[in-house]
Amino acid sequence: MTDTVVKINDLVKRYGDLIALDHFDLEIKQGEIFGLLGPNGSGKTTTINCLLSLLAFDKGNIEIFGKKMTPVSYDIKKEIGVIMQNVAVFDELTVYENIDYFCGLYIKDKAERKKCVEEAIKFVGLEEFKKFYPKKLSGGLLRRLNIACGIAHKPKLIILDEPTVAVDPQSRNRILEGIQDLNRKGATIIYTSHYMEEVEQICTRIAIMDKGKKAAEGTKDELKRMIKNTETITIEILDIPDKVMGEISGLKHVYKTDLTDGKLTVYCSGGKHNFMRVLDVLQKNELSFGRVYTEQPTLNDVFLEITGKALRDKED
Amino acid sequence: MFLHILKYELKNGLRNKDLIIWLILFPIVLGTFFKIAFGSVYEKNEKFSAIPVAIVEVNENPAFRQVVEGIESADVPFLKASFVTREKAEKLLDNGDVEGIIFTEDKLRLIVKEKGLQETMLKSFIDQYVVRESIAKDAMKNAPEKVQDVISVLTEETAASCREIPLTQGNPDPYIQYFYNLIAMVAMFGCVTGMHITMQNQANLSALGARNNCSPVPKSLNILACITGSCIMQAVCMIVCVSFLAFVLKIDFGDRLYLVYPTAILGGILGICFGFLIGSLSSLGEKTKAAVLMSVSMLMCFCSGLMVADMKVIIADKIPWFNNINPAAVISDCFYCLNIYEDYDRFITKLINMIVISVIFIALGFITSRRKKYASI
Amino acid sequence: MQVFKAMFKVTKKRLPSVLAYMLVFLFISFVHARSATKDNKFEANRLKICVFDEDDTPESHALIDFIGKSNNLKTIENDRDVIIDSLYYGRVDYALIINKGYAKKLSAGETDDLFGSYHMDENYSVVYMGQLLDEYTTSVKAYITMGKTIDEAISSAEEALSQHTEVSMLRLDKGGDSHYSVDFAQYFEFMVYILISAVMIVVCQVLVTMNRKDIRFRTNCSCIKESKYTFQLFFGSCLFVLAMWLVLMIFGIILNKEMYAGRAWYAVLNSLIFAAVTATIAVFVASFEPKENVLNLITQVLGLGMCFICGVFVPISVLGEGVLAVARFMPAYWYVKANNMIAETEPYSLSGVLQCYAIQTLFAVAMIVLSVLVRKVKYSSAAIGTSVKKIAVHQ
Repeated sequence: MTDTVVKINDLVKRYGDLIALDHFDLEIKQGEIFGLLGPNGSGKTTTINCLLSLLAFDKGNIEIFGKKMTPVSYDIKKEIGVIMQNVAVFDELTVYENIDYFCGLYIKDKAERKKCVEEAIKFVGLEEFKKFYPKKLSGGLLRRLNIACGIAHKPKLIILDEPTVAVDPQSRNRILEGIQDLNRKGATIIYTSHYMEEVEQICTRIAIMDKGKKAAEGTKDELKRMIKNTETITIEILDIPDKVMGEISGLKHVYKTDLTDGKLTVYCSGGKHNFMRVLDVLQKNELSFGRVYTEQPTLNDVFLEITGKALRDKED
Repeated sequence: MFLHILKYELKNGLRNKDLIIWLILFPIVLGTFFKIAFGSVYEKNEKFSAIPVAIVEVNENPAFRQVVEGIESADVPFLKASFVTREKAEKLLDNGDVEGIIFTEDKLRLIVKEKGLQETMLKSFIDQYVVRESIAKDAMKNAPEKVQDVISVLTEETAASCREIPLTQGNPDPYIQYFYNLIAMVAMFGCVTGMHITMQNQANLSALGARNNCSPVPKSLNILACITGSCIMQAVCMIVCVSFLAFVLKIDFGDRLYLVYPTAILGGILGICFGFLIGSLSSLGEKTKAAVLMSVSMLMCFCSGLMVADMKVIIADKIPWFNNINPAAVISDCFYCLNIYEDYDRFITKLINMIVISVIFIALGFITSRRKKYASI
Repeated sequence: MQVFKAMFKVTKKRLPSVLAYMLVFLFISFVHARSATKDNKFEANRLKICVFDEDDTPESHALIDFIGKSNNLKTIENDRDVIIDSLYYGRVDYALIINKGYAKKLSAGETDDLFGSYHMDENYSVVYMGQLLDEYTTSVKAYITMGKTIDEAISSAEEALSQHTEVSMLRLDKGGDSHYSVDFAQYFEFMVYILISAVMIVVCQVLVTMNRKDIRFRTNCSCIKESKYTFQLFFGSCLFVLAMWLVLMIFGIILNKEMYAGRAWYAVLNSLIFAAVTATIAVFVASFEPKENVLNLITQVLGLGMCFICGVFVPISVLGEGVLAVARFMPAYWYVKANNMIAETEPYSLSGVLQCYAIQTLFAVAMIVLSVLVRKVKYSSAAIGTSVKKIAVHQ
């Protein structure tokens, strides 16, 4: 089960002077939930659009299921489900009709289609809203409808482009669980997001994009291993003498310390009992402190270290 | 697959109630307006009311006075004369109480305030009087013994010397042109529906377009199904429109009403094709496209005589080929041919003309929207 | 001024659309003004007539010459289709056939069935020519009765028929309207359609954008007063309409080839008032938040409908009383009436013009009141609820 589903080679896309994709490579294996992570404008959606042959690109090669993807590769398209960033449904059609319409573009047999549509509705939990028009749905329900439209025909490859933007946590969790469920049923999934928590939660493999380039790729553990930081210790403390500061900085594995707003942050790289050792120093100097906690590195840290900037420069 | 898309295209269109209602309401409201406006025009021309006129007798002219009084005493008087002074007459004319002033000087002289049918009728009345007067005078001078005969020749009711050979069995009412143009306009409004076809099938125009583009259905099939759906809906609108005009407003389309329907439907299809073509020009924004569609449609309707009926004649005179490429003019010409000409040659020529334009629009639309990948979305 | 600024930006985005409309409308009014043939002189039109002489005798030639004196003779092929085409496209107004045996019948004093004529519609030229021919033959017959030979009779008849009544137009001295010709008045008349269409489409669209539910909710949450917001919208709409009106006025100068002077200023003021009225209509329609497509249709119904009923496309003088009674409830009627007075196609009186101005202004006020009401009902039914409660409490 290691067939390559998607293969992108040396993809270049320019918008005038702006290089949206800069010699981008990607390979996605069957059964993966592949996360494409990057800040706004890093080229995630452009990649997806190129992949779907919606966008013309300047250079590169795209293969899906081992075949070259073109706008007329209907046999390939049949196996793909797409959930776009923007909700793409007919305002004039009801929930059921919308799903039936899009499903009908893939599945001709009526009885089979009916089953698929019902399943899709159940899957996204819109059973009570079958007869509703999209305008009457809340943002989260609308997103779910958007997803249902994309997956009703049980595609082998599902591409989700930021499906959880502007969705409440409840709906979001449902969506994420659903995606994992689809994956368990055998679908390969490409998932783009700038919410690293989501990606961390569900993705088996992750590529971090920045400025049209792939900054890093691997499983989340692999990614985390790539960076120096292994542990971040934060201690609420009012004041700390320079001597003690020096002592902490001097500890083995500690590579950086920082004291701002009554919070001491100690960054460690490797080693096993860094937390204990830092506390030891404080105890030894008889300093009192408030809350203490330690964190494993997050993808944000990975991103921060790899690209030199925060993953989420601003929320949108 | 075609039927599946068609089904939803129709559902989609029918749910768009505002548009459908207005597309149907539009010809009904405007048609009624036209009917009211022109119905009364015809009434006014047909029902002869006596023309009020002031007569200022500068010199005594008993013969003229006698004639005028004779006319006034007729069953259906053509004149309503008042013999007044010059000052009074001018005041009457200025207030619009009379249509003209006749001065009986050596010659008769007419003063009017505006140009119109009644004024022209006054003039020809006086002309006629003057001619007969001079003939009678001639007779008195040259052959006094035959004066009575001459006068009887002049006054007897003679059969018209001119026999009118009608060229057509159709409705000769010139105002019917306005209704043709109204139908043409409704047909052109099909462009609004036509435009949305491209909107929902072009990935770079809408999210829906992007989704549709990702489906395994060939784009051409998708577009074709959408066009068919739009055409069906437009056809319904056209049928309602023509039926309303023909049966409620009782507009006489000639004796071949059964052919008016397919013509109107074809016209509607032409409108959709036009919208489809403009819609597929991806370089324009949606709002701009809508504006271009509406303004160009109005321009076409203007040129085909919707606002000013003479427009088409002027164009036929100056740039005759334009009437063959202006969709609105072609549509309204079709109705005209159907009404006026007995044979079908001209009607069929116009019909073919219409179909050719539609096909060109569709072909161009397909060519411009054929591009499968977009430079940007 | 924040609202106003935003509105302006939205309008700017719509500029290509506005441009498309304006260009088309200016073109239409240009062509329309050019094709206007009204003038202040009264003269019978020369008709374009083609004659098929099947008799081909000196008598028939004499008749053709006679007709040619006051009309333009055209030669076209004697083919039914060609005739139909020529008549249809107005290349020929009237097709006359002089039947075989014309000379013989005429000299025998028979006047029936001398001619045949082709025509398309029962229009003026048909009636006119029928009359002319009847007059001609009657006159010839009268002279023959007098005992003249046919040749003499024809020449005498021609002489008698060549007398024309002198017709003059009434021009009472009232300061004159040399600055505002009837031709030019047509441009202003047509402006009704242009103003309604352009203003409605642009102003409505911008207003609908500004009033979109989410934007309106956001605005309602801000600290700007509702009245101030509405005022700014009004102000912005007016400014835009003013700009459009100015363009039309400048175009008018170009078309008229001279600066407005004398009475023309009344017409300018008239159009300004009407522009304001259309702006208020646009605001009113916008409060129903029509979709763009629907808006287009509404605009056409309003524009075309008003123009037909109120005598823009069809002269007021031919419209029936019933129509005019309805038309009185439309601002365009009063605009056209004022315009006609100024151009003196209707009796001119300053008080009459001012009255028309006043009525138009009343329409504007009514529209504003109505839109405020609609806004109240639509946007804040809750507010109405509370106000009703308040009233109840006071009682």
